[in-house]
Amino acid sequence: MKSMLQPFTRRAVSSLALGALVAPAVKAQSITEITVHYSQPHVFRESKEAVAAAFMRREPGIRINWVTTPNYDEGTQLILRQAVAGTQADLTYQGLNRLRVLAERGICQDLTPFLHREGSAAEQGYSPTILGLGQAGGMQAGLAYAVSTMITYLNLDVLRRIGVEPEAVSTNWDSIIELAERIARLPNAPDPIYYDIGEWAWSALLYGHGGQYMSGDERRFLMESPQGLAAMRLYQRILRDGRMPNLTTPAAQQAFGAGRIAIRFGSTAFLRNVIQAVGQNFQLATTIMPVIDAERGRLQVGGSAGMLLARDPVKQEAAWKFLRFSTSAEGTALMVQNTGYVPCNQLAVDDPRWLAEFYLRNPLFAAAMRQLPITVAWYAFPGANGVRITQTISDNLQRLVESRATPEQVVQDMQREVTRLLPRNT
Amino acid sequence: MPRNWHLSSAVGLGAVKVTRGAPIGEALAGLMLTVPAGLAYLVMLLLPTVATILLAFTDYELGLPDWNWIGLGNFTEMFEDRGFGVALRNTIIYVGFVTPISILLGLGIALLIESGIRGRATFRAIFFLPVVSLTVAMAAAWQYLLHPTIGPLNGLLRTIGVSSPPYWLSSSDWVLLSLSAIGIWENIGYNMVLFLAGLTAIPRELYHAAEVDGSKTWLDRFRLVTWPLLGPTTLFVLTITMIRSIRVFDTVAVLTQGGPNKASEVLLHTMYKEGFTFLRLGYSAAITLVFLVMVLGLVWLQTKALDKRVHYG
Amino acid sequence: MDKPRERSFLADTPRLVSLGLVGLLLLMPYIWMVSASLKPLDELFRASLSLWPERFHAVENYSRVFSQVPVLHYLWNGIVVCAGILFFQLLFAVPAGYALAKLRFPGRDIAFGLVMLGLLVPPHVPALPLYVTFSKLGLLNTYAALILPFTISVFAIFLFRQFFRALPDELIHAARLDGIGEFEIVWRIILPNSWPAATAFAIFSVVAHWNDLFWPLIVIEGQARATPALGVLYFRSDEAGDDFAALMAAAVIMTLPLVLAFLFAQRRFVEGIATTGLKG
Repeated sequence: MKSMLQPFTRRAVSSLALGALVAPAVKAQSITEITVHYSQPHVFRESKEAVAAAFMRREPGIRINWVTTPNYDEGTQLILRQAVAGTQADLTYQGLNRLRVLAERGICQDLTPFLHREGSAAEQGYSPTILGLGQAGGMQAGLAYAVSTMITYLNLDVLRRIGVEPEAVSTNWDSIIELAERIARLPNAPDPIYYDIGEWAWSALLYGHGGQYMSGDERRFLMESPQGLAAMRLYQRILRDGRMPNLTTPAAQQAFGAGRIAIRFGSTAFLRNVIQAVGQNFQLATTIMPVIDAERGRLQVGGSAGMLLARDPVKQEAAWKFLRFSTSAEGTALMVQNTGYVPCNQLAVDDPRWLAEFYLRNPLFAAAMRQLPITVAWYAFPGANGVRITQTISDNLQRLVESRATPEQVVQDMQREVTRLLPRNT
Repeated sequence: MPRNWHLSSAVGLGAVKVTRGAPIGEALAGLMLTVPAGLAYLVMLLLPTVATILLAFTDYELGLPDWNWIGLGNFTEMFEDRGFGVALRNTIIYVGFVTPISILLGLGIALLIESGIRGRATFRAIFFLPVVSLTVAMAAAWQYLLHPTIGPLNGLLRTIGVSSPPYWLSSSDWVLLSLSAIGIWENIGYNMVLFLAGLTAIPRELYHAAEVDGSKTWLDRFRLVTWPLLGPTTLFVLTITMIRSIRVFDTVAVLTQGGPNKASEVLLHTMYKEGFTFLRLGYSAAITLVFLVMVLGLVWLQTKALDKRVHYG
Repeated sequence: MDKPRERSFLADTPRLVSLGLVGLLLLMPYIWMVSASLKPLDELFRASLSLWPERFHAVENYSRVFSQVPVLHYLWNGIVVCAGILFFQLLFAVPAGYALAKLRFPGRDIAFGLVMLGLLVPPHVPALPLYVTFSKLGLLNTYAALILPFTISVFAIFLFRQFFRALPDELIHAARLDGIGEFEIVWRIILPNSWPAATAFAIFSVVAHWNDLFWPLIVIEGQARATPALGVLYFRSDEAGDDFAALMAAAVIMTLPLVLAFLFAQRRFVEGIATTGLKG
């Protein structure tokens, strides 16, 4: 008896199930789910969720699934692995220097047609500078979402001890170094200057001289150039005359917060963290990087941009809408308020109703934003060894930090080693 | 017979006759018992490893659709690359520091703990704690403790008169030493536990016998009884510690990322960086292959050299 | 060591003091980690070593961890994954270890050689092919993906082989004489006697996989199946700096179960290793 009923009930159940599957499918067509990936969750989570909340008020039919990775590197690996395995996020916020890697592998969409659909890019707040930050691999690979630049962090308590008021700090290297020498003469002196370690931070000196890494046709590495040499010599001066301690960047961050470093040159991305680390220990101020060449000087940015990966037309449309909203004036304002990174929409910068109040109440964050007009894209070297070239530059810079070579030697060695790593068919 | 064997009631220990009928059943049973593990080994370990090793002869990069066989191209590049040579040298130095010192300290602490009754359980727990820790978290702690300007270690050194204490983790001269010290810290507990076990297994009667035979001091007893009987344990600990220290990765990845200027670069970190950061999986696989061959040679050498001396029966 | 006579406390002092000092040194990072999790960020990196916080910030730090990361969920995932891994490791390794130790069969020496070889292979090596396979099978983001690759533990096979080698042969011969089949021998004699070594191995295995970062980082996306180690990693960032105080609090939370489990099991653990009979 039982065995006869079993197949019967099984069929009944399965047809019920099928029926249940069909019914909501009719309703489900109006809800599109997209997968959005980003890195550094403890920094960006609130901003992403705020943007998503505002977005879903306008587009209730789109639901977002989040995927996060700790750092940009893991983020790139994730997308590449997914490309190999055939599963894919629809939208990813990648470190700006990784746009090229993904673009050259044909993983992302060119955003130019999408932008033109909406009208003039500039009118939506995507100035040529801002668009340039997201260009790589010969296309508009991404739209910059949150951007960072080098800024100057000042320990005002120490400055006052040498009788300098914050307004009197001139932003040029000669006067900074002179301040450093005066600080060094204080009793129980803190370390006067710290310049963040690594290629990205140092590039501010190269670009500040109006130089760049590669020639326009990307065939020649330009370290052995007047600007390259000048930047290296300036770095040497900062290290030596600024009496910079040989600390790692995290260690320096901690020492600065403890009041044992007077002036730090580092990314504005650290600012929220620095404010907390400084806390009640001393009074903090920020200002722009010292200007070297007022006309041709530029700054390489850090940060992330949204890249559109989806190929399915429905998901592509939904993902594009979110990407556009997250980089619109409203979206970027939400981002700034939650993270302190630099806004990536000119409307948000110019129109006071978006961010005027934020910068009034958080003047420390304004320093980076003021440098937005002179920013350039985060450069990625061509070829298979692109990432490794960055490492080679950082390694060679370290020799100056530990006083094991002269600037000229470092420039020469760097030129030789990097040229060897560049693609040979160019 | 060790006291904690317990036999099911049906089996007695009468006179034992070795029958020859067993071998076929035994062989079959042997094979069948190893099949599950063998399958898992094949699928989860052997095949993926072979796949990765085959990559060593290609120029495969993660995400690129096309790739080529380049034979020994990766290997020639490796031997010309200054970075690989430095990583090799650093790994050897690291192993050279960590292995003997962590073994000696592990043994010393095990001896100390076993030589008394008070606080055994507590001390065992205390010394094993570093093994249980999450490297990412410990790294932050180490970075502060070893901080050159605001850290307590250098603070202490300054109060006793050292005018400029070393920059432990950011100086090319000191970083390898610092990482070795952390490696020793991680391995002491591990080795201590293994030695504790070896020590506990030495029968007491042997010590009584030695005493009767005239060895009076602790050193005599150690030389005559403890050290020889610890032989197999020591060999085991030596092998395991060497393998663990050759495979150093976590502390380098979290604390120094191979820096400054490759001064703390080690083989596995280079392999990881090439494959996962620089995305050159073919080259990374080549490094892996060289690594495996080296370690294999090392273990084989060591087993050959010590096996005879250690095992007697 | 010889049988420890009950020494007077005075005579025991040198031993206690030296162990205590070294122990304190070894514990420093832990002590600092716990102390750091109680402080606000601006107090963490003072130039002086003060372990007790001036402003008690534990509530803020720990509640930040709980608000950003589903802690209990991650801890549960950790338990499921580690238990699952351990179960399969024992399931495969105990019979295999016994077979390698006591039974003669063709290919035994090759098998043992492969086991030793397996000990040398670092975890990064099989990672990518395994990832692609799991992805194609649709197994990413599942417990299966976290458990399956580790079901084979060559260390376990090695350990159990050593252990069973010390088993007296007479035991098994006698059982065979009594007509007990090979598999029954495993079930009724070998298995019950392997608990000490199994406990010992369990500690090593659980510690290794609870703290594993590399593999979960590759196969897990999102929070549904994330492990405790990933929960700690949430607070790291190279570009913007770590959320340091929360990082320390997260580390304390995620390490605590391990510590407690070890304290609980450590007595059986040492006895287990002892009867492994590391005599080769």
